[in-house]
Amino acid sequence: MSGQNIWDKLQNVDRRVFYWILFVALTVPFLSPIGLPITITPSSQAFYDGIKTIEKGEVVVLSINSGVSAWGDCLPAMVASVHKVYDQGGKLIVWSIGYTDVDITWAKIKEKLPDVFSKWKEGEDYVYFGYSPPQETNVALLRDNIRAIYPKDVRGVATDQIPLMKDINGANKIKFVLSSDTGDAQMYYVRQWKNGPVNYEKTEKPPTVAELGIAMNKSGDMAYFLSGDLFGLVAGSRGAAELEALTGYKGDATITMDSISVSHILLVLAIILTNISMFATRGNKK
Amino acid sequence: MSQIYKREMVFIVTGVVALVMMLDYFFGKNIPGISGAGNISSTLQTWALIIQLMAIGLGAINLIQVHYRQISRKTNMAVYSAWFMGFFALLLLLGFYKLATGVELYPYTWIFKNVYVSLGTTLYAITGFYIFSAAYRAFRARNIDAAILLIGGIFVLLANAPIGEVIWGGFPLIGNWFNNVGQVPGMRTFTVVGALGLLAFGFRALIGKERGFYSEVQ
Amino acid sequence: MIGNIAVAYPTDPLAIAGLWIALFLMLAIYSYPLWKENPVYRFAEHTFIAAALAIGIIVNLTSLMNTAVTPLMSGNLLMIIPILLGFCMYFLLVPKQRWVSRYPIAILVGSSLGLGIASNPLPSIVNQIISTVTPPKAGTAVWAMFPGAPTGDWFSFAFVAIGCLCATTYFLLTYEHIGPVKPVTIAGRYFIMLALGAYFGNTVLFRFSMLAERGKYLLQVLGLVPL
Repeated sequence: MSGQNIWDKLQNVDRRVFYWILFVALTVPFLSPIGLPITITPSSQAFYDGIKTIEKGEVVVLSINSGVSAWGDCLPAMVASVHKVYDQGGKLIVWSIGYTDVDITWAKIKEKLPDVFSKWKEGEDYVYFGYSPPQETNVALLRDNIRAIYPKDVRGVATDQIPLMKDINGANKIKFVLSSDTGDAQMYYVRQWKNGPVNYEKTEKPPTVAELGIAMNKSGDMAYFLSGDLFGLVAGSRGAAELEALTGYKGDATITMDSISVSHILLVLAIILTNISMFATRGNKK
Repeated sequence: MSQIYKREMVFIVTGVVALVMMLDYFFGKNIPGISGAGNISSTLQTWALIIQLMAIGLGAINLIQVHYRQISRKTNMAVYSAWFMGFFALLLLLGFYKLATGVELYPYTWIFKNVYVSLGTTLYAITGFYIFSAAYRAFRARNIDAAILLIGGIFVLLANAPIGEVIWGGFPLIGNWFNNVGQVPGMRTFTVVGALGLLAFGFRALIGKERGFYSEVQ
Repeated sequence: MIGNIAVAYPTDPLAIAGLWIALFLMLAIYSYPLWKENPVYRFAEHTFIAAALAIGIIVNLTSLMNTAVTPLMSGNLLMIIPILLGFCMYFLLVPKQRWVSRYPIAILVGSSLGLGIASNPLPSIVNQIISTVTPPKAGTAVWAMFPGAPTGDWFSFAFVAIGCLCATTYFLLTYEHIGPVKPVTIAGRYFIMLALGAYFGNTVLFRFSMLAERGKYLLQVLGLVPL
C-alpha cells in the first residue's frame, strides 16, 4: 500500500465513488437546462421527411414495442411523431407487440399531448388496441387479419364497429409502420409487412417501416436503413431530440441532452484517465 | 414404434407447419386455401399465438415453486418470499376482478402506476452505473484492436452528446460518420452471417437434426 | 411546445403518496449500487418480480379471452384445439409425460421457423449485398464524411465495400487464416472493432438516458422540476 503512487490509487478507487458522481452528474443539469444546439443526422432527417408525406386521412400504425424502462429513449420520439401525424391530418392505429405495460405508455403519450387528444376522436381519428404477444407470427397474422388478434379495442368496442377500421383489416391500407423498439420487432414488420409475402395485389403498396428505438438500434438498424428497408431511423434520446428540433416541439429529449452531455464528458474523462494511468504504471511494473 | 409419437411425429408437425408458412409467403396467392384470413396459414398463426399466451403460467408456477421452497425451509430469504407470495396474490386478485367485470379498481391502477413503473424503469437503469465503472476499469488501449474500439467509442460518445460539437466541430463530423458508415461493415457482416446461420439452423431443425427445442424423455 | 406542458403537482393524498412511494422504491433499488446490498433492496426487488408476474398474467389472460375464449363462446369450436394444446404445454412439469408438451412447442417452433426461413433472406442477405455493391448517388447525406465534398460519397462506399469483404472473411472458419488471407482477416477484425466501439457509444447513450430519467424523477417528486 505505501508503495502506491497516484496512478495506482486511481486504478483502485471504490466503484461507489463513480456511481455517486455519475448520479449527481445526471441529475443536476435538469435544474437549469442550457439547451445546446443539436446537429441533425441523416437518418432522423429521413424519418422526418417521410412522415411529412402523410396526407389527410392516411393511416399510420404506431407499434409500441418498448416498455416503461425505455421511456427515456423512446417516449419523446413517439410523442413528437404522434403530434406530427396529427399535424399532417393522418390517422393512427396503436398496438403493442409483446409489452404488457403498453397501457401506461399510451396513457403517458396522451398526457403529453393534450392539444392533440382534445381534438382527436377515439374510433375516428385514432384507435388503441393494446397488447398482443411477442412473436413474428403475430405480426404476420396482423398483416392479413387484424380482427383475429384484436376483435375489439381496449374500450370493448368491436373492431367492426370502429369507423376508422371500416375498410382496414390488414397491412394493405396502411401507409407507414412506426415501430418503437428495444429489440428487433421492427424487423418483423420489414419481413412480414414491407417485403412480403409476395401475395400483395400488384396495385397495392405495402407499408414502409421506420424505427423509433433505443440508441443501440442505431448500430443494429443502420445497415437496414442504408439498404432501404427502413425509411427512417430515430434512435435514442439523441435521435428523439433531433426529431423534436425538426418538428419544432421541444420536449423531454431536448431537456435530457444537457444531462447526457455532462455524463458523457465524465465518461470520456474517466476513460482518458484510466488509459493514462495504465501507461504510467506500465513502466513501473516493467 | 411406440416412440414415434414422442419424437418423429413431433418433427413431422414442425416440418408441416413450417412448410405451410413458407408456401404462404412465396406462393400463397396461387394456392387456394393457404393464404389470407381464415385459411390454413392464418389459422396456424392464431393457434401459435394462443399457445404462447397460455404458456405464461409455466413461468408463474416455477417462481411460485421456488419461493414456496424458501418459505417451507425457513431460509433467510423466507420473509421476502412470503412478501412476494402475498403481494402477487393481491395483485392477481385485483387483476382477476378487472378480467371478470371489466372494471379496473383504483388500487390496481395505483400499484401499476407507482410501483410497477417506478421499479421497472429503475431496475433497467441500474446498468448505467455498471457501464460507467466497467468502462473505467476495462476500457484500455492495450493493443491495436482495443485502441480502435476505444477511438470509435469516444468519437461516437462525443457525437451523441451536444457538448461534443461545442468542444470541437470534428467530433460530431467524425462521430456521426462512424455511426452512419464506419460501423456498417461490422454490423452488416453480423446481419448477413447471422441470417445465414439462421437458415442453416432452420433447415437442420426442419429435418429433425436440431433437438434442442424438445426436452428428452427418460 | 410539448415538453414544457407541466402536469400540476397532485393534491390528492393518494396520488402524492404514490409519487413518494415510487421514489422510495427507486432509492431502495439504488441503495444496492450506491451503498451495499441490504434488506430494503431485496424487498423492492421481490416487489417488482411479483408485480411484473401478476401484471403479465392478467394482460396475457385478457388477450387470450379476446383471441380464443370469446370466439369459442361465439361458436367457433375450432378454438378448442389451440386451448387444449396450450394446456398440453403444462406437461413440461410432469417428467414422465413431458413428450405431450412437444406438440404445442412444435407448432410454435414450426411457425417461427417457417416465417424466419422464408422472410429473412431478402432484407438480411439480399438487400444487404445489393446495398454494399450499389454506389451511392452523389451527395447522399449519409455517406458524406464531409458534407458537400464530391469524393466523400465514394470514400464511404469503398470503406463499406472493402470492410464488409474483410469482416466476412474473418468469419470464414472452415480454413486456416494463413498466407494472403491473414492480413484480410486482421483488417476484418479492425472493422468489427470499430463497429463494436460505435455500438458501445450508443449503448452508453441508452443506459445514461434511462438513468437521467430517474434522476429527473427524483427532482420532480421533490418539486424542484415540473412534473
